[in-house]
Amino acid sequence: MLYNVHFGIYVDVAMPVEDKSKSLLPFLSSPKLLPDESESEFQSGLQSLLSELDNPSSLAVALVSQLNECLWWIRRHTADKELLLHEAMARLLSKAGNHWDTYDNHKVSEALERYLDDRADKDEAVWIDEILAESKLTLSDLRVRAFKDAAKHIKMVDDLIHRQHQTMRHLQRSIDSIDYKSRLIKRMDLELAALESKQSVKGALTLDDKSS
Amino acid sequence: MTTNPRRNLVNRCNALKSTGPRSASGKRASSQNSRKHGLNKTPDFESSSEYRALVDLIAEEGFSAFACADIAASLLNYRRVMDAYYDTYTSPEPVDEFLRDANVKASNPIFSKLLSPSGSEPQDVREMAAFFASMQRQERRKGGPVSRRSADSHKLIRYQRNGIARLSRAVRQG
Repeated sequence: MLYNVHFGIYVDVAMPVEDKSKSLLPFLSSPKLLPDESESEFQSGLQSLLSELDNPSSLAVALVSQLNECLWWIRRHTADKELLLHEAMARLLSKAGNHWDTYDNHKVSEALERYLDDRADKDEAVWIDEILAESKLTLSDLRVRAFKDAAKHIKMVDDLIHRQHQTMRHLQRSIDSIDYKSRLIKRMDLELAALESKQSVKGALTLDDKSS
Repeated sequence: MTTNPRRNLVNRCNALKSTGPRSASGKRASSQNSRKHGLNKTPDFESSSEYRALVDLIAEEGFSAFACADIAASLLNYRRVMDAYYDTYTSPEPVDEFLRDANVKASNPIFSKLLSPSGSEPQDVREMAAFFASMQRQERRKGGPVSRRSADSHKLIRYQRNGIARLSRAVRQG
Protein backbone atom coordinates (compact mmCIF):
# COMPACT_ATOMS: atom_id res chain seq x y z
CA MET A 1 0.00 0.00 0.00
CA LEU A 2 1.34 3.43 -0.92
CA TYR A 3 -0.64 5.30 1.71
CA ASN A 4 0.06 3.13 4.68
CA VAL A 5 0.69 4.74 8.06
CA HIS A 6 3.22 2.79 10.10
CA PHE A 7 3.46 2.39 13.83
CA GLY A 8 6.50 0.63 15.18
CA ILE A 9 6.62 -2.66 17.05
CA TYR A 10 9.55 -3.31 19.33
CA VAL A 11 11.29 -6.63 18.82
CA ASP A 12 12.32 -8.60 21.85
CA VAL A 13 15.50 -10.19 20.55
CA ALA A 14 15.71 -13.79 21.75
CA MET A 15 19.14 -14.27 23.25
CA PRO A 16 20.92 -17.47 22.38
CA VAL A 17 23.72 -16.98 24.95
CA GLU A 18 23.36 -19.26 27.93
CA ASP A 19 23.52 -16.57 30.59
CA LYS A 20 20.98 -13.86 29.76
CA SER A 21 22.21 -11.67 32.63
CA LYS A 22 25.48 -11.25 30.73
CA SER A 23 23.85 -10.06 27.50
CA LEU A 24 24.31 -6.48 26.31
CA LEU A 25 21.01 -6.43 24.41
CA PRO A 26 18.68 -5.44 27.30
CA PHE A 27 20.73 -2.23 27.68
CA LEU A 28 20.49 -1.28 23.99
CA SER A 29 17.33 -0.06 22.27
CA SER A 30 15.72 -2.89 20.27
CA PRO A 31 15.20 -2.75 16.52
CA LYS A 32 11.59 -1.88 15.64
CA LEU A 33 9.45 -3.62 13.03
CA LEU A 34 6.66 -2.19 10.90
CA PRO A 35 3.15 -3.60 11.52
CA ASP A 36 3.13 -5.66 8.31
CA GLU A 37 6.51 -7.29 9.03
CA SER A 38 6.91 -10.72 10.56
CA GLU A 39 8.67 -10.86 13.91
CA SER A 40 9.33 -14.60 13.62
CA GLU A 41 11.10 -14.03 10.30
CA PHE A 42 13.26 -11.35 11.92
CA GLN A 43 14.12 -13.71 14.79
CA SER A 44 14.91 -16.65 12.52
CA GLY A 45 17.27 -14.43 10.51
CA LEU A 46 19.07 -13.46 13.70
CA GLN A 47 19.26 -17.05 14.91
CA SER A 48 20.71 -18.24 11.61
CA LEU A 49 23.38 -15.52 11.76
CA LEU A 50 24.23 -16.43 15.34
CA SER A 51 24.41 -20.13 14.52
CA GLU A 52 27.39 -19.36 12.28
CA LEU A 53 29.40 -18.16 15.27
CA ASP A 54 31.08 -20.64 17.53
CA ASN A 55 30.21 -19.77 21.15
CA PRO A 56 29.65 -16.01 20.57
CA SER A 57 30.50 -13.49 23.27
CA SER A 58 27.88 -11.00 24.47
CA LEU A 59 29.49 -8.21 22.44
CA ALA A 60 29.46 -10.40 19.32
CA VAL A 61 25.74 -11.14 19.88
CA ALA A 62 25.05 -7.40 20.15
CA LEU A 63 26.93 -6.75 16.90
CA VAL A 64 25.20 -9.61 15.07
CA SER A 65 21.85 -8.16 16.14
CA GLN A 66 22.85 -4.86 14.48
CA LEU A 67 23.90 -6.80 11.38
CA ASN A 68 20.51 -8.48 11.20
CA GLU A 69 18.84 -5.09 11.43
CA CYS A 70 20.94 -3.91 8.45
CA LEU A 71 19.71 -6.88 6.41
CA TRP A 72 16.17 -5.94 7.37
CA TRP A 73 16.71 -2.34 6.23
CA ILE A 74 18.04 -3.58 2.88
CA ARG A 75 14.83 -5.57 2.46
CA ARG A 76 12.68 -2.54 3.29
CA HIS A 77 14.57 -0.25 0.93
CA THR A 78 14.44 -2.80 -1.90
CA ALA A 79 10.65 -2.93 -1.52
CA ASP A 80 10.62 0.88 -1.50
CA LYS A 81 12.24 0.96 -4.94
CA GLU A 82 9.27 -0.88 -6.42
CA LEU A 83 6.85 1.35 -4.47
CA LEU A 84 8.58 4.45 -5.84
CA LEU A 85 7.98 3.16 -9.36
CA HIS A 86 4.32 2.50 -8.58
CA GLU A 87 3.99 5.98 -7.09
CA ALA A 88 5.44 7.58 -10.23
CA MET A 89 3.26 5.38 -12.46
CA ALA A 90 0.14 6.49 -10.56
CA ARG A 91 1.20 10.12 -10.86
CA LEU A 92 1.68 9.81 -14.62
CA LEU A 93 -1.53 7.93 -15.04
CA SER A 94 -3.60 10.48 -13.11
CA LYS A 95 -2.24 13.21 -15.42
CA ALA A 96 -2.76 11.16 -18.57
CA GLY A 97 -5.87 10.94 -20.69
CA ASN A 98 -8.37 13.58 -21.72
CA HIS A 99 -9.91 14.13 -18.30
CA TRP A 100 -6.76 14.37 -16.17
CA ASP A 101 -8.14 17.15 -13.98
CA THR A 102 -11.01 14.94 -12.86
CA TYR A 103 -8.91 11.90 -11.90
CA ASP A 104 -8.16 11.64 -8.22
CA ASN A 105 -4.46 10.85 -7.70
CA HIS A 106 -5.16 8.87 -4.54
CA LYS A 107 -7.87 6.80 -6.22
CA VAL A 108 -5.68 6.09 -9.27
CA SER A 109 -2.80 5.16 -6.99
CA GLU A 110 -4.84 2.61 -5.04
CA ALA A 111 -6.46 1.15 -8.16
CA LEU A 112 -3.10 0.83 -9.92
CA GLU A 113 -1.54 -0.83 -6.88
CA ARG A 114 -4.26 -3.49 -6.93
CA TYR A 115 -4.04 -3.78 -10.73
CA LEU A 116 -0.30 -4.47 -10.57
CA ASP A 117 -0.79 -7.06 -7.81
CA ASP A 118 -3.61 -8.76 -9.79
CA ARG A 119 -6.04 -7.91 -6.99
CA ALA A 120 -8.14 -5.35 -8.93
CA ASP A 121 -11.82 -6.06 -9.50
CA LYS A 122 -13.27 -5.99 -13.02
CA ASP A 123 -14.37 -2.32 -12.91
CA GLU A 124 -11.00 -1.13 -11.65
CA ALA A 125 -9.10 -3.15 -14.26
CA VAL A 126 -11.33 -1.73 -17.03
CA TRP A 127 -10.83 1.80 -15.67
CA ILE A 128 -7.01 1.47 -15.62
CA ASP A 129 -7.06 -0.07 -19.12
CA GLU A 130 -9.20 2.85 -20.31
CA ILE A 131 -6.81 5.46 -18.94
CA LEU A 132 -3.88 3.62 -20.49
CA ALA A 133 -5.68 3.47 -23.83
CA GLU A 134 -6.63 7.16 -23.65
CA SER A 135 -3.03 8.13 -23.02
CA LYS A 136 -1.83 5.71 -25.75
CA LEU A 137 0.49 3.93 -23.33
CA THR A 138 1.17 0.30 -22.54
CA LEU A 139 2.01 -0.78 -19.02
CA SER A 140 5.69 -1.21 -19.90
CA ASP A 141 5.78 2.28 -21.52
CA LEU A 142 4.31 3.69 -18.35
CA ARG A 143 6.88 1.84 -16.27
CA VAL A 144 9.74 3.23 -18.36
CA ARG A 145 8.43 6.78 -18.07
CA ALA A 146 7.88 6.34 -14.34
CA PHE A 147 11.44 5.09 -13.92
CA LYS A 148 12.71 8.23 -15.64
CA ASP A 149 10.53 10.39 -13.38
CA ALA A 150 11.46 8.61 -10.16
CA ALA A 151 15.18 8.22 -11.02
CA LYS A 152 16.26 10.81 -8.44
CA HIS A 153 14.45 9.08 -5.58
CA ILE A 154 15.47 5.58 -6.76
CA LYS A 155 19.09 6.78 -6.65
CA MET A 156 18.51 7.93 -3.06
CA VAL A 157 17.18 4.50 -2.09
CA ASP A 158 20.20 2.91 -3.79
CA ASP A 159 22.42 5.12 -1.62
CA LEU A 160 20.53 3.95 1.47
CA ILE A 161 21.04 0.30 0.48
CA HIS A 162 24.72 0.94 -0.20
CA ARG A 163 25.06 2.52 3.25
CA GLN A 164 23.62 -0.61 4.87
CA HIS A 165 26.13 -2.76 2.95
CA GLN A 166 28.98 -0.57 4.21
CA THR A 167 27.63 -0.77 7.77
CA MET A 168 27.48 -4.57 7.49
CA ARG A 169 31.10 -4.64 6.34
CA HIS A 170 32.14 -2.61 9.42
CA LEU A 171 30.16 -4.90 11.72
CA GLN A 172 31.60 -8.01 10.08
CA ARG A 173 35.14 -6.71 10.63
CA SER A 174 34.36 -5.93 14.27
CA ILE A 175 32.90 -9.42 14.85
CA ASP A 176 35.96 -10.98 13.17
CA SER A 177 38.26 -8.97 15.40
CA ILE A 178 36.42 -10.13 18.57
CA ASP A 179 36.47 -13.72 17.32
CA TYR A 180 40.18 -13.51 16.46
CA LYS A 181 40.94 -11.99 19.86
CA SER A 182 39.14 -14.74 21.75
CA ARG A 183 40.84 -17.43 19.63
CA LEU A 184 44.21 -15.79 20.29
CA ILE A 185 43.57 -15.79 24.04
CA LYS A 186 42.54 -19.49 23.88
CA ARG A 187 45.69 -20.36 21.93
CA MET A 188 47.89 -18.45 24.38
CA ASP A 189 46.20 -20.26 27.29
CA LEU A 190 46.91 -23.61 25.60
CA GLU A 191 50.54 -22.69 24.93
CA LEU A 192 50.95 -21.54 28.53
CA ALA A 193 49.45 -24.81 29.80
CA ALA A 194 51.81 -26.78 27.51
CA LEU A 195 54.81 -24.78 28.77
CA GLU A 196 53.75 -25.31 32.39
CA SER A 197 53.37 -29.06 31.88
CA LYS A 198 56.79 -29.19 30.17
CA GLN A 199 58.29 -27.23 33.07
CA SER A 200 56.79 -29.60 35.61
CA VAL A 201 58.15 -32.63 33.70
CA LYS A 202 61.61 -31.00 33.57
CA GLY A 203 61.40 -30.21 37.28
CA ALA A 204 60.49 -33.82 38.04
CA LEU A 205 63.41 -35.07 35.92
CA THR A 206 65.95 -32.80 37.64
CA LEU A 207 64.66 -33.92 41.04
CA ASP A 208 65.09 -37.55 39.89
CA ASP A 209 68.68 -36.79 38.74
CA LYS A 210 69.56 -35.20 42.08
CA SER A 211 68.09 -38.08 44.10
CA SER A 212 69.96 -40.69 42.00
CA MET B 1 38.48 19.54 9.09
CA THR B 2 40.60 22.42 7.71
CA THR B 3 44.00 22.80 9.38
CA ASN B 4 45.53 25.34 6.98
CA PRO B 5 45.33 28.80 8.71
CA ARG B 6 45.16 30.59 5.34
CA ARG B 7 42.26 28.39 4.25
CA ASN B 8 40.62 29.00 7.63
CA LEU B 9 40.80 32.74 7.16
CA VAL B 10 39.39 32.53 3.62
CA ASN B 11 36.53 30.36 4.89
CA ARG B 12 35.73 32.84 7.65
CA CYS B 13 35.74 35.76 5.19
CA ASN B 14 33.44 33.87 2.84
CA ALA B 15 31.14 33.00 5.73
CA LEU B 16 30.80 36.71 6.54
CA LYS B 17 29.43 37.26 3.04
CA SER B 18 26.81 34.58 3.56
CA THR B 19 23.34 35.92 4.17
CA GLY B 20 21.61 32.63 4.95
CA PRO B 21 18.21 31.80 3.55
CA ARG B 22 16.48 34.72 1.80
CA SER B 23 12.99 33.52 0.99
CA ALA B 24 10.33 33.09 3.64
CA SER B 25 10.06 29.35 2.95
CA GLY B 26 13.87 29.01 3.17
CA LYS B 27 13.93 30.77 6.54
CA ARG B 28 11.07 28.60 7.75
CA ALA B 29 12.90 25.45 6.64
CA SER B 30 16.24 26.42 8.16
CA SER B 31 14.61 27.42 11.46
CA GLN B 32 13.68 23.75 11.88
CA ASN B 33 17.14 22.40 10.97
CA SER B 34 18.16 21.18 14.40
CA ARG B 35 14.71 19.96 15.43
CA LYS B 36 14.24 17.09 13.01
CA HIS B 37 16.22 14.27 14.63
CA GLY B 38 18.39 15.77 17.39
CA LEU B 39 21.49 13.89 16.23
CA ASN B 40 23.63 17.04 16.22
CA LYS B 41 23.32 17.30 20.00
CA THR B 42 26.27 15.93 21.99
CA PRO B 43 24.86 12.99 23.96
CA ASP B 44 25.65 12.41 27.62
CA PHE B 45 25.92 8.62 27.82
CA GLU B 46 28.29 8.52 30.79
CA SER B 47 25.60 9.43 33.31
CA SER B 48 23.12 6.78 32.10
CA SER B 49 22.64 3.47 33.90
CA GLU B 50 22.74 1.58 30.55
CA TYR B 51 26.22 2.91 29.88
CA ARG B 52 27.54 1.74 33.25
CA ALA B 53 25.97 -1.70 32.82
CA LEU B 54 27.44 -2.02 29.32
CA VAL B 55 30.91 -1.01 30.52
CA ASP B 56 30.79 -3.65 33.27
CA LEU B 57 29.64 -6.39 30.88
CA ILE B 58 32.20 -5.52 28.18
CA ALA B 59 34.97 -5.46 30.82
CA GLU B 60 34.22 -9.15 31.51
CA GLU B 61 35.32 -9.91 27.94
CA GLY B 62 38.87 -8.78 28.65
CA PHE B 63 38.85 -5.28 27.14
CA SER B 64 40.79 -2.48 28.84
CA ALA B 65 38.86 0.10 30.88
CA PHE B 66 39.37 2.76 28.20
CA ALA B 67 38.22 0.40 25.42
CA CYS B 68 35.14 -0.64 27.44
CA ALA B 69 34.07 2.99 27.86
CA ASP B 70 34.66 3.69 24.16
CA ILE B 71 32.76 0.60 22.95
CA ALA B 72 29.81 1.22 25.29
CA ALA B 73 29.48 4.86 24.23
CA SER B 74 29.76 4.03 20.54
CA LEU B 75 27.20 1.21 20.81
CA LEU B 76 24.71 3.57 22.49
CA ASN B 77 25.49 6.25 19.91
CA TYR B 78 24.92 3.81 17.03
CA ARG B 79 21.56 2.76 18.50
CA ARG B 80 20.60 6.43 18.89
CA VAL B 81 21.28 6.99 15.17
CA MET B 82 19.36 3.86 14.13
CA ASP B 83 16.36 4.85 16.29
CA ALA B 84 16.32 8.31 14.68
CA TYR B 85 16.60 6.61 11.28
CA TYR B 86 13.55 4.48 12.01
CA ASP B 87 11.57 7.46 13.30
CA THR B 88 12.45 9.51 10.22
CA TYR B 89 11.53 6.62 7.93
CA THR B 90 8.15 6.02 9.58
CA SER B 91 7.05 9.65 9.92
CA PRO B 92 7.69 11.51 6.66
CA GLU B 93 6.19 14.91 5.99
CA PRO B 94 2.52 14.26 5.09
CA VAL B 95 1.34 14.82 1.52
CA ASP B 96 -0.98 17.81 1.13
CA GLU B 97 -3.35 16.10 -1.28
CA PHE B 98 -5.61 19.13 -1.65
CA LEU B 99 -2.72 21.35 -2.74
CA ARG B 100 -1.20 18.66 -4.96
CA ASP B 101 -4.38 17.74 -6.84
CA ALA B 102 -6.05 21.17 -7.00
CA ASN B 103 -6.80 22.67 -10.41
CA VAL B 104 -5.23 26.15 -10.17
CA LYS B 105 -6.74 27.47 -13.42
CA ALA B 106 -10.24 26.58 -12.31
CA SER B 107 -9.66 28.26 -8.93
CA ASN B 108 -9.42 31.86 -10.21
CA PRO B 109 -13.06 32.73 -9.29
CA ILE B 110 -12.42 31.37 -5.77
CA PHE B 111 -9.27 33.53 -5.42
CA SER B 112 -11.24 36.51 -6.67
CA LYS B 113 -13.92 35.96 -4.01
CA LEU B 114 -11.31 35.39 -1.32
CA LEU B 115 -9.42 38.59 -2.06
CA SER B 116 -12.43 40.86 -2.04
CA PRO B 117 -16.10 39.83 -1.94
CA SER B 118 -17.07 43.02 -3.81
CA GLY B 119 -14.61 42.40 -6.67
CA SER B 120 -10.81 42.54 -6.85
CA GLU B 121 -8.10 43.67 -9.26
CA PRO B 122 -7.23 41.04 -11.92
CA GLN B 123 -3.54 41.64 -11.13
CA ASP B 124 -4.05 40.52 -7.49
CA VAL B 125 -5.90 37.40 -8.60
CA ARG B 126 -3.09 36.55 -11.04
CA GLU B 127 -0.48 37.00 -8.30
CA MET B 128 -2.40 34.80 -5.92
CA ALA B 129 -2.84 32.12 -8.60
CA ALA B 130 0.90 32.28 -9.38
CA PHE B 131 1.74 31.91 -5.67
CA PHE B 132 -0.63 28.96 -5.34
CA ALA B 133 0.86 27.36 -8.46
CA SER B 134 4.40 27.72 -7.10
CA MET B 135 3.33 26.10 -3.82
CA GLN B 136 1.73 23.30 -5.81
CA ARG B 137 4.93 22.78 -7.83
CA GLN B 138 6.94 22.52 -4.59
CA GLU B 139 4.47 20.03 -3.16
CA ARG B 140 4.50 17.91 -6.33
CA ARG B 141 8.31 17.97 -6.51
CA LYS B 142 8.48 16.30 -3.10
CA GLY B 143 6.57 13.31 -4.50
CA GLY B 144 4.44 10.81 -2.61
CA PRO B 145 4.96 9.29 0.84
CA VAL B 146 7.61 6.79 -0.32
CA SER B 147 9.64 9.49 -2.08
CA ARG B 148 9.41 11.67 1.02
CA ARG B 149 10.53 9.00 3.44
CA SER B 150 13.43 8.07 1.14
CA ALA B 151 14.54 11.71 0.88
CA ASP B 152 14.24 12.23 4.65
CA SER B 153 16.13 9.01 5.48
CA HIS B 154 18.83 9.95 2.97
CA LYS B 155 19.71 12.97 5.12
CA LEU B 156 20.76 10.65 7.97
CA ILE B 157 23.34 8.70 5.94
CA ARG B 158 26.27 10.69 7.28
CA TYR B 159 25.22 10.11 10.90
CA GLN B 160 25.07 6.37 10.22
CA ARG B 161 28.47 6.43 8.55
CA ASN B 162 30.06 8.26 11.49
CA GLY B 163 28.27 6.11 14.07
CA ILE B 164 29.33 2.76 12.61
CA ALA B 165 32.90 3.94 11.90
CA ARG B 166 33.24 4.97 15.55
CA LEU B 167 31.84 1.65 16.80
CA SER B 168 34.01 -0.43 14.48
CA ARG B 169 37.15 1.51 15.44
CA ALA B 170 36.40 1.16 19.16
CA VAL B 171 35.92 -2.63 18.90
CA ARG B 172 38.97 -3.27 16.70
CA GLN B 173 41.32 -1.09 18.73
CA GLY B 174 40.06 -2.43 22.05
